[in-house]
Amino acid sequence: MRITMLTFTSLLILACVVPHPSYAQETPEGSLIGKQIYDKSCAHCHGLEGRGDGSAAENLLPRPRDFTRGLYKIRSTESGQLPTDKDLFDIITVGMPGTSMPEWETSLDVKEREEVVKYIKTFYSGFQENENPPREISLDDKIPYSQESVEIGKDLYVELGCVECHGKLGRGDGTSAPTLVDAWDFKTWPANLTENWNFRGGSDSEDIFKRFIGGIAGSPMPAFQGDTFYHFGLTAEQSEQYATLEKKVEDGEELTTEEEERAAQYFEINDTAATAALDWAEGLEMSPETLKIYNDAMKVVYEKSWHLANYVKSLSPEKRPDFAIGKHVLRSQYLQGELPALTDETWNTLDYSYYPLIGQIVVEPRQFNPSIDAVNVKSFYNDTEVAFLFSWDDKTHNTSEEENEETGKTYEDAIAIQFPVKPRKGPTDPKPYFIFGGRKPVYLWQWKASAPDTLTELTAKGINNVEEQEVQGDFAVESDYTDGRYMLWVKRSLKTDDKKDLQLDVATFVPIAFSVWDGGNGDIDTKRVISSWYSFVLEPLPSTRRFIYPPLVALLSFGLLVGLRRIVQRRNS
Amino acid sequence: MKKTSLFTICLTIFIVSWIFLRFVMGGIISAPIPNSVIAMYMGLILIAILVHVSVEDSRFTEFLRPVHETLVDDSKRTRRLVLVILIPLLMCGFSYTHIAQKTSPLGDPRQAHPKPPLELTYKDIVIDTMQDAQNPYRHYEKDDPELFKEHVDNGRRVYYQNCFYCHGDHLDGKGHFATALNPLPANFQDPGIIPNYQESFFFWRISKGGPGLPPAGTPWNTAMPIWEDFLTQEEIWDVIIFLSEYTGYTYRTFGEGH
Repeated sequence: MRITMLTFTSLLILACVVPHPSYAQETPEGSLIGKQIYDKSCAHCHGLEGRGDGSAAENLLPRPRDFTRGLYKIRSTESGQLPTDKDLFDIITVGMPGTSMPEWETSLDVKEREEVVKYIKTFYSGFQENENPPREISLDDKIPYSQESVEIGKDLYVELGCVECHGKLGRGDGTSAPTLVDAWDFKTWPANLTENWNFRGGSDSEDIFKRFIGGIAGSPMPAFQGDTFYHFGLTAEQSEQYATLEKKVEDGEELTTEEEERAAQYFEINDTAATAALDWAEGLEMSPETLKIYNDAMKVVYEKSWHLANYVKSLSPEKRPDFAIGKHVLRSQYLQGELPALTDETWNTLDYSYYPLIGQIVVEPRQFNPSIDAVNVKSFYNDTEVAFLFSWDDKTHNTSEEENEETGKTYEDAIAIQFPVKPRKGPTDPKPYFIFGGRKPVYLWQWKASAPDTLTELTAKGINNVEEQEVQGDFAVESDYTDGRYMLWVKRSLKTDDKKDLQLDVATFVPIAFSVWDGGNGDIDTKRVISSWYSFVLEPLPSTRRFIYPPLVALLSFGLLVGLRRIVQRRNS
Repeated sequence: MKKTSLFTICLTIFIVSWIFLRFVMGGIISAPIPNSVIAMYMGLILIAILVHVSVEDSRFTEFLRPVHETLVDDSKRTRRLVLVILIPLLMCGFSYTHIAQKTSPLGDPRQAHPKPPLELTYKDIVIDTMQDAQNPYRHYEKDDPELFKEHVDNGRRVYYQNCFYCHGDHLDGKGHFATALNPLPANFQDPGIIPNYQESFFFWRISKGGPGLPPAGTPWNTAMPIWEDFLTQEEIWDVIIFLSEYTGYTYRTFGEGH
C-alpha cells in the first residue's frame, strides 16, 4: 500500500516537473506512430507528404487540406496564427461535416489522434519555428443570443457585405458565389448559412464568432481584422457618419470644407488603427498608445461579430430535418375546392417532406461533388386534381446559356420527378431501377429552368434510354427562383386519358424518386443528384368511423362488466 | 403480512412477460419483435397460466376469488367503480388509435444473402465456377509479401477513388453519400460480412452491382454501380484484398475437397 502511495506521489511530482510538450514540433521522426496511422488512414486523401494530393483528392470538393502551407480553416486562434494542437485534435475527432472528412473518434483513440496531430505538424516548418503557442481568440465579452442581438446582426450582415457571397437570406447564392476560388485555385462555394449542420467547426455562436475573428484560412472568407474590416477603428457613430460622407462622394456631390475635414479625420483614424493591427499581426513591439488604439478598434469588431454570429445562428432551423430513410412518405392532404396556387398561404399549413439527394456515380459522366443535398416537397389534392410544391436550394440560377461542346446539351438547372409506369402489384413486385428505370420503365415529369412554365412527360427504360411522350398531358406549372431557392408548383388532374401517364387513386401508395441538376455545378445528363425510391400517397380523409366505433366499444365493455356482476350476484344468491 | 393472491401473481407474470418481450427482448437484446409474434407468445403464456390455475378446483376458486370480490363485495366498492370507468375508457382509446392510424406503404422484402450465379464472370469472360474461383493475387501473401503489399496499396487506391463515398473512410458503410441511400451500403467492419463470403462472391457483387442482383433479391434499389464498367479484374481483386487487410477479417474459404 505504502509503495503504491509512494509511486503515485512521485508520479504526481514528475507530472508537475516535466514541462508540457512544447508547441513547436520536432522532426518527423518525433512521431513514428503518428506517421504509421497517417499513412494508413489519412494519406489516401491528404497525400503521403501532406500536400493534399492523395489518390482520392481529385474527385473531392472541398479538396483535402494541403498541410504544407500551414493554412488551417478551423482555428480558435487569431487571424494569421497557426492552430492550437487542440484545434487540430478536435477536427480529427469530429471531422468536417458536409465534406468527405469523417470523424475519427470511433476508430482512433485519444493517444493515436494526438500522435497524428504531432505528425501533421511536421509537414509545415512554421510549427517548428514557432516557440510560442499561437494567440487564441478571447470569448470573454460574449454577447448572449437574443432576438435583439439577432436584429442588430441582421443589419450588420448587409453593412459588412456578407450578402455578396452568402446571399440575401444566407443560402450561399450571392452574386460573387460562382467566381470564388481558394488559396490553391480550386473552386469553393460560400457556406449555405441556413444549414448549420454543415458548418465545419461547429454551429454555436462561439464557433461562428471564431470564424469571423480568425478567418477561414485559405478560403475567400476574410478575417474581421485590420484593413479587412469595415471602417476599422471607427465607433459605430463615426462609422455611420463616414458612410454618409462616402455615399455623397460616390453620388458625385460636393463636400463642404467641414465635411471634407471630417472625412479626412475618419480616414486618418481608420488608417492608424489598420497600421496598429498590422503591427499586432506581425507580433511587433507596440507602444501603449498604439496598443490602446488597436484594442479599442477590436472591441467594436468583437461586439459586431457577436451580433453577427447570433444572426447567422438564427438562420438555421433548430434541428436538421430527419433523414429517416425509406420512411419519408409524401402524404398529399385533401382539400375541398380549389387547390392553392404557388404563392398561396394555404401551403404554409403543411410541413415539407425532406428527401436527401446524392451524386449519381453509377453511370458516366458521374457527379462526385453534388451541390444540392435535398429536395423538399408538399402536396394537396381535391376530388379531381393534385398539386405539388417542390423546393430546393441552388446557389446559382442557370438557364440554357452554356453548352457542352461534345453533346450540345446545356448546363441548366432542372428537376425530374419519377414514378413507375405500372403500379406495383404487391410487396414482392420489384420497383423499376431507381435511376430512370431499366427493364421496368419509369414515367417522369421533367422541368427545366429555361422553360419555367412547362413540364415535359418522359418515359425511360434506363438513364440513357429516355423518350418524350408523344401525347403531352395538361399541367399547370409555375416556378420561381429567389435568393438561392427554387420553387416549382405543378397541378394535374388525378386521372388522365393517356394510359402511359400516372393515374392516382386515393390511399394507393405510389413509388416516387427525384433527380435534380445544378447547371452551375457542371450537372448535365447523367451527371446530377438523385434520390432513392420513396412513397407518395393521396392521404384519405380520416375515417368518420373513428367517432362511432370507440364509444360503441366503451359502451359494450361497460355492459359486459355490469352483466358479469349480475351473473355473479345471481349465482351467489 | 397479507399473502399475495394467486390472481395478482398471475397478472404480474403476464405483464412482466409482455414488457420483457416488447422492450427487453425486442429492443435491448435484439431487433423489435413484430406484434403478431408477441401476441402468439402472450397467447401461450395465457394458456399456461390458465392450465396452471385450473388443475385443481380449489386453486381455481382461489384464483377467481379477487375477481369475484371485486365484482360483488361491498368492501371493494371503490375498486369496482374505478375499474368500471377505466376499462371502457381504455377500450375506447385503443379502438380510436387503431382506426385513426395512418396507413403505411408496402414494405420492401429484401434478401440478405442473394444467391450468386453458378459461374463467376467479368464482363462476358467466364473466370471459373463461383465455388472454385480464387483471388489470383492472394497467394502472394505467402509467396511474395512485397508484391502482395503492392496489391494492397493498389486496392487502397481503388477503394478511396471509388468506394469510400458510400462505404466510408472507416469501411463501416457510413460514407458521406450513405445517408441518402436505401438500402444502406454494406458495412465491412460488421463481423457478419467478410467472414461469411468467399472472395468470389465479393467479386460478383462488385462487378455486377445492384443491377446484377437476381430477381429474388428484389433488385433495383441498391445503388451499387456495375464496377466492371469502370475497374479492371485486377483492380477488383485488389480492392477485395484491401478490404480484408484493413478490417482484419478473413474471407470464408472452403477446406480441401469442399
